[in-house]
Amino acid sequence: MNWWQRLWRKREQERRLEQELCFHFESQIADNIRAGMSEDEARRRARLEFGALESVKEDCREARGTVWLDSTWQDLRFSLRTLRKTPAFTLAAVFTLALGIGANTAIFNVTNAILLRSLPVPDPQQIVSLKVEPAQPDGAGNTGDSETSFSELVFERLRTRHDAFSAVIAHVPLGFNKISVRHGEVPEEVSGEMTSGNLFSGLGVRMACGRPFTLEDEYNHAAVTVLSYAYLERSFAGNCPGALGQTLHIKGFPFTIVGVAARGFFGLVGSTDLWIPLQRRPEFNAWGSSNDSYYADVNWWCLPLMARLAPGISAERAVVMVTPAFQRAAYEPLGGKPHPDEKPRTLALVPMRGIPGGQGQAKILTVLMAMVGLILVIACGNIAMLLVARNTARQREFSIRLAIGGSRFRLFRQLLTDSLLITGAGAALGWLLSLVAKRALVAWAGIDFDVTPDATVLLFTIGIAILAGVVFGLAPLIAAVRVPIGLALKSSAANLSQSRGRLRAGRFIVALQVSMCLMLVAASGLLVGTLRNLEHINLGFRTSGLVVFGINPQLVAHSNAEASVFYQALLDKLRALPGVESVTLMGNRIGSGWSNNTTAIVDGKNAVASGPNASTGMRWNDVGPDFFTTLGVPILRGRDLNGRDSDAAPKVAIVNETFAKRFLAGRDPLGHSVSFNPAKPYTIVGVVANNKYTGVREHDTPMAYFPYTQTDASGVKHIEMRVAGDPVRVLPVVRKTVAGFSPDMALLQPMTQQAQFDETISDERLVARLSICFGALAVLLVATGLYGTLAYNVSRRTSEIGVRMALGARRFDVLWMILREGLLVCLIGIAVGLPLTLLSSGLLESLLFGLAPRDPFTTSLAIVGVILVSAAAGLVPASRAASVQPTVALREE
Amino acid sequence: MDAPRTDLPQGTLDLLILHVAALGPVHGYAIAQRIQQVSRAALQVQQGSLYPALHRLENKGSLAAEWKETETGREAKFYRLTAKGRRQLKDETEGWHRLAEAVGLILQLSEGDSV
Repeated sequence: MNWWQRLWRKREQERRLEQELCFHFESQIADNIRAGMSEDEARRRARLEFGALESVKEDCREARGTVWLDSTWQDLRFSLRTLRKTPAFTLAAVFTLALGIGANTAIFNVTNAILLRSLPVPDPQQIVSLKVEPAQPDGAGNTGDSETSFSELVFERLRTRHDAFSAVIAHVPLGFNKISVRHGEVPEEVSGEMTSGNLFSGLGVRMACGRPFTLEDEYNHAAVTVLSYAYLERSFAGNCPGALGQTLHIKGFPFTIVGVAARGFFGLVGSTDLWIPLQRRPEFNAWGSSNDSYYADVNWWCLPLMARLAPGISAERAVVMVTPAFQRAAYEPLGGKPHPDEKPRTLALVPMRGIPGGQGQAKILTVLMAMVGLILVIACGNIAMLLVARNTARQREFSIRLAIGGSRFRLFRQLLTDSLLITGAGAALGWLLSLVAKRALVAWAGIDFDVTPDATVLLFTIGIAILAGVVFGLAPLIAAVRVPIGLALKSSAANLSQSRGRLRAGRFIVALQVSMCLMLVAASGLLVGTLRNLEHINLGFRTSGLVVFGINPQLVAHSNAEASVFYQALLDKLRALPGVESVTLMGNRIGSGWSNNTTAIVDGKNAVASGPNASTGMRWNDVGPDFFTTLGVPILRGRDLNGRDSDAAPKVAIVNETFAKRFLAGRDPLGHSVSFNPAKPYTIVGVVANNKYTGVREHDTPMAYFPYTQTDASGVKHIEMRVAGDPVRVLPVVRKTVAGFSPDMALLQPMTQQAQFDETISDERLVARLSICFGALAVLLVATGLYGTLAYNVSRRTSEIGVRMALGARRFDVLWMILREGLLVCLIGIAVGLPLTLLSSGLLESLLFGLAPRDPFTTSLAIVGVILVSAAAGLVPASRAASVQPTVALREE
Repeated sequence: MDAPRTDLPQGTLDLLILHVAALGPVHGYAIAQRIQQVSRAALQVQQGSLYPALHRLENKGSLAAEWKETETGREAKFYRLTAKGRRQLKDETEGWHRLAEAVGLILQLSEGDSV
């Protein structure tokens, strides 16, 4: 018989077992009678000799070997039945666990996507990204990504090294931001990458339909493109074969769609909408730059590279193999060898994990993981207390089972089954919750990469569920199984000593929970305080009424002069629109994080900084006429830039207060000169108040502003408009005006200036919001736990309270008695939690702004909050105790 | 009063059951009776051990079972030895003899004998 047959025929087997033993029993009686006993005596002797029938049966079942299966099935059904009989308990336990597991899964899912996940391609362990250490050779041009970018020459040399790599792939964004693409009337913004022809073949990415582009397409610089599946769904209604052959105008140039990458491949840099082969046109330079093409400038390190290692070659081995070739290619354009005091640059191969730059988020993710971890522990505490309470209520049942011959092991297993069922249901529900939370996170955090949970996340969930099951399941089990058999026969009063132990354990758990809750609430207070500080910071100008968008002039202007003319015309048209108060433009959009940084040159010499430890660096931006008037930045001395500061006019600049104080202390800045190139001085004609350039968190830095006409007018510029009323409402008419210059010209990332600055603190906002959620969840769980413990205590002491009141205790005394107990537990928790809080808050330091990690105000607020919550949780059972009617209470016993 | 009883040494119950079953199909009660009678009531088999042992041997494949009518016309579960059980019986019988002989030899040493 198979095990399942045995399971199936269980009833039949049971009948047969009964029959076999009965036969023995009755044969014995018959023999006893034959030996001369009376029937009663015969039966009595037989029964004595036989022993406990049920225990013999149980031993027989066990001897059959499949008993574990039979009994597991039995346990399962029994557990389901008993859990169904106590729905409140079951729901509370499952839901508490689901909250804990769901929060952990959701945060881990994001952590996994950002830091851990490998690319969804075959043999992802072979995929590495290339790094140059410590940075590009001295004298080479770079893009700011100095560790991860290479010259075209290095790429060409490395890609021939088939002994080390099966493929070397170059991939570079088409712009610093999104680019404009059109396949109908209205251009849209997409993120595009230009890659070597082996992107798809080298990685092993399949096509959903069509074909990938190839090395041949790369060598011909073919005007073909492959879309991501997400982009297909967004812009082509997911019609895979339908999109093939269509023409896509990328930056105004027609490209034919030849393929769509398989669903689930989001590219190498988070989320890419389309890929094209490497191009030679100046419009398709790396990062959309207006420099010489990366083909022409062999000394410009602008291409991010990745590779698939050749089979059987480790990353270390590959580095050794190709380093000589790498160094030759690196220094060839620089005279063949490194600068005398320069350490030759070396190559490093790093496994591709998570998203590029994801390591920068590691800190935030660690903090969030720690927070949800604490929540899970608190939740486990509650479930443990629920289970203990439930097992206490079932002690009579347990002792009866033990008395009629059930084994303690069997009882243990039964309770384990209960825990496992709760854990399983909690984990399943938690998984569902995490999917909901994922959506919320994507919306809140503006996540633009794939966060579909993968097998790692599922394993994580199962792992923490098992861990949680062990944490909350085991302790109460052991306690329950220690039930004395005699308990069944005793009266309820005998339970007291048992429940006192349980009460102590309960208080201990709640105190621990309070301490963890304090840590969470304090952390959440610090993070919220940080956000408030950032939100109320003075940016140095009025953001209300400002709207900003980018324009790429390459579609209509091919030189500095043409671009100047174009922008002049555009600004004039925009100024004439109804409701527009003033219009200007800038090279780096303020609040976007981008900035130009250089050593300040004042009056033709490197600047001398006054004040200790002050750096001689400055930031600069190229801006349009009326820049400061439009923003509303106070002009302290001199004038604003205006339309007369053209390319042909004398070179002028405006500096900020910090610049004047640091580099021209005690002198009148007007008339001095500033520059980033000693040969090209700009006369300072104005001083403005400090205002934020890169983002909200920026500290005051020396700033110089140059007219865009006198630096470089040809690149992408960001137009800033001040309008009356809701600034976004002007965009449709602006779009129409811009389309008048070229139908392919899109407004790049149009948004209010306020929104742009808000983006720079979006991480802080997200963390603050999440920490509020986590803090609230922790408070809720702890309040429930405390409430449960006190309520149980009140019900246990009802008769005692009755006696006290009958003897003259006032209601207030009783109320205070219970409340005091809760507060005592809370204070113990705070005593334990405070040092932990102070220790752990150091972890937050780098995330905070404007307050110290041990900010006394926030910490005290957290303590007061926790005490208030404890008091509130205690008040309900306390007032119930106070309303006990002595006569009723005494009658109950 | 009954004759003095001896507890079965560990592991010998299986051997006795196999031995009795080797004589022909037999039900549990008869096995208990046979052991008791043949040992002149010196060995008493507890039902609490007998039936689990029978089920274990059946599960191992040393015994096969079949429901048949007894001479009194009642249905009973009859056990018989399988080929595997026969091998086990042979091995265990030899083992037992070796053990008994060895123990016997040691017990023959009188106190004064030097080893």
